Amino acid sequence: MSWRPIKAVVGREISKLFRQRARLISAMVRPMIWLLVIGSGVGSMLDAQQQEAYLTFLVPGILAMTLLFASLLSALTLVYDKEFGVMRMMMIAPIAHYWIVLSKLIAATLTAMVHAILLLLILLVLQLINIEIVVSLLLPAFLTSVCCAAIGGLIAVWSKSIDNFAVIMNFFIFPVFFLSGALYPVNQLPEFLRYIVIVNPFSYGVDLLKHAVPNVNTDFSVMTDITVLMVFSISAIIVACWRFSRESVHEPLFHSVPKR
Amino acid sequence: MASNLAIQTQGLTKQYGQALAVNKLDLEIETGQFYGLLGPNGAGKSTTIHMLTTMTAATSGEAWIAGQQVSADPVAIRRTVGLVFQDSALDRTMSIDENLQFAAAMYNLSPSEADKRIDELLSVFGLQEKRKQKLVALSGGQRRAVDIARGVLHKPKVLFLDEPTIGLDLPNRRAIWRFVEQLRRDEGMTVFLTTHYLEEAAACDHVDFIQQGQLQHGGKPDELIQQLASHILEVNTPNPENVIEQLTPIFGIPIREDEDLSFKISADDVDFHQLQQTLGDSISSMQWRKPNLNDIYLWTFCSPEQGQVA
Repeated sequence: MSWRPIKAVVGREISKLFRQRARLISAMVRPMIWLLVIGSGVGSMLDAQQQEAYLTFLVPGILAMTLLFASLLSALTLVYDKEFGVMRMMMIAPIAHYWIVLSKLIAATLTAMVHAILLLLILLVLQLINIEIVVSLLLPAFLTSVCCAAIGGLIAVWSKSIDNFAVIMNFFIFPVFFLSGALYPVNQLPEFLRYIVIVNPFSYGVDLLKHAVPNVNTDFSVMTDITVLMVFSISAIIVACWRFSRESVHEPLFHSVPKR
Repeated sequence: MASNLAIQTQGLTKQYGQALAVNKLDLEIETGQFYGLLGPNGAGKSTTIHMLTTMTAATSGEAWIAGQQVSADPVAIRRTVGLVFQDSALDRTMSIDENLQFAAAMYNLSPSEADKRIDELLSVFGLQEKRKQKLVALSGGQRRAVDIARGVLHKPKVLFLDEPTIGLDLPNRRAIWRFVEQLRRDEGMTVFLTTHYLEEAAACDHVDFIQQGQLQHGGKPDELIQQLASHILEVNTPNPENVIEQLTPIFGIPIREDEDLSFKISADDVDFHQLQQTLGDSISSMQWRKPNLNDIYLWTFCSPEQGQVA
């Protein structure tokens, strides 16, 4: 097994990331809107001290959001590639098919980390965080982006076309984000929503990021966060790889089923 | 299995639910051959290619490519074969060079090897000048050429071409065939072709037909044409029933498409002028010509009894 094909798949995604600078910039606008608009809006209902605390509370939340969108959307390029034929180029290559999924997820993780680092630099410039916080956020951000890539991989291998993109946004991305404790503390949620947060693997990424920022209340222990993230990510990646290897077998990607 | 076979299948079958896409296919294709698999849409041509190139698994039966069992080591098979898909397998947003460099890396060619090979292939296709251009800026024929170049980057032993000229105009189709011929000559590849354009398959060493997943053994195009008939008589008439009644005892049952009748003529001593006089005013036009591969196809797939085109 050579690494060259994997490097090629990952390299293709990364070069696209830097080529589409407008997308990279717009990906920075979303968290800033949350931080400045929602943060200030909700903050205006609070007194000055609480307002500052809420902005600090939001930092791990919007970082998690950036990781979620970047990583998941990047993993979903698996579906784009199926639709636009590039997948054929990868599937006919002499590598085991699960490497296609793995390479795409590696690319998704790296893409998310580029987004995260860019956002952290902006937050640093805005003096919302200091350099120690930036450093301590990197590893939690990495584990979270692996988890998000794994979620994206799972969705991607089960999606047939990009038509159901809106479905994916409404049924996966938004619930995963809103029901994660990214915007509000979990312990204040109604009981049934709290259960959803507990089964949402992304919540543990958000929580781990919160651990890295001082004076932010967390819901789970660091150990729990890391264990859940790792167990979920590994299992999800295995399932995605298995399903993808099976896909070429049972469902042709090439519209070749004779219609009778 | 015999070592001089590039492709061999035994009872190769693919079923999608209840639908039988390919039924118990037995094939033997010798190394270096130019083989054509012909058949209507949905006959199972693409499915056959996909099974032979590990893009989909067979439901039952087995296939060997260059002596290697297909199901045993798909990765090794993919190293041995090249496949030009019916639909493009390129990234339109990238340039020719980026696409081919990417494909070459997928085949584990080093950048310098890839560069040399891409240069070589683009010069065959006359596309060196366009190497840095985005794919969207190319014509359909040029894109297809890049697709074929992609399929042969790694010098496969067996090249599968799934409808390589579909949707192209005549000059582009001719150009594509010149490239394929040159690749075959220079690199000694076995070529497995499916096509709708039957005249293109005339260059094949051997053609077979497939319909509803069922293989019908063919042969060398020239010989098949010779065996079919010495001539084909095409008649257009407002009274097909009358003409059928008149001519069937002499020439056998024709293929009928509305007012068009097509008879197989095996005897050499038919007097065309006499025939014209006999039929007289009951026909609008008639044509006497040599058979070609299209006739083989029609007579294989259109049962004269039904007189319907498949």
